[in-house]
Amino acid sequence: MAKLEASDTVVLGISIDSPAANAAFAKQIGVTFPLLSDMNHKVLTEYGILKPYDVKGDKYEWAQRTTIVVDKEGKIQHVEQGDSAVNPNSAVSVCTGLHKPHGQ
Amino acid sequence: MKRIVTAFTALLLLLLMAGQFSAAAQEDTIAKTNLKVGDAAPDFTLLANDWKPVKLSDFRGKKTVVLAFYVLAFTGG
Repeated sequence: MAKLEASDTVVLGISIDSPAANAAFAKQIGVTFPLLSDMNHKVLTEYGILKPYDVKGDKYEWAQRTTIVVDKEGKIQHVEQGDSAVNPNSAVSVCTGLHKPHGQ
Repeated sequence: MKRIVTAFTALLLLLLMAGQFSAAAQEDTIAKTNLKVGDAAPDFTLLANDWKPVKLSDFRGKKTVVLAFYVLAFTGG
């Protein structure tokens, strides 16, 4: 993560938790980047990554674990879903690649 | 006649099964994003853990943004 922040990049965590829960979570795991609250599922729906879960017979919808890299022009450069998205290495290499000066 | 009925029942069963399979496949794809590399990332404004709003387009022209969607707070990853 420090590698990412060093390469002209910001990391934004997003989930359906409240800002209060995210604040406690950020403190617990010691993250320095913002954790954003999508409490009404608006962004998750728009990005198409709301996933239904069944908890003891009740239906809930949470985020599918996803990493998306957005470049400086607002274009998507990388999409990774599922358990492999936990590992930020491929996102790091995408960002590092984006910041290499042209012609090198 | 009996043979025709049997064949018809088998066909009906097959169709039913196919319907079930496609329903299962649909459920799997619900969480798959339609966004592809090269698409414009939909803009959003969300409250951060310090209760301040963060807008995706504010980073345009300045920073690359890594959006890390996670399942829930206090879970691994």
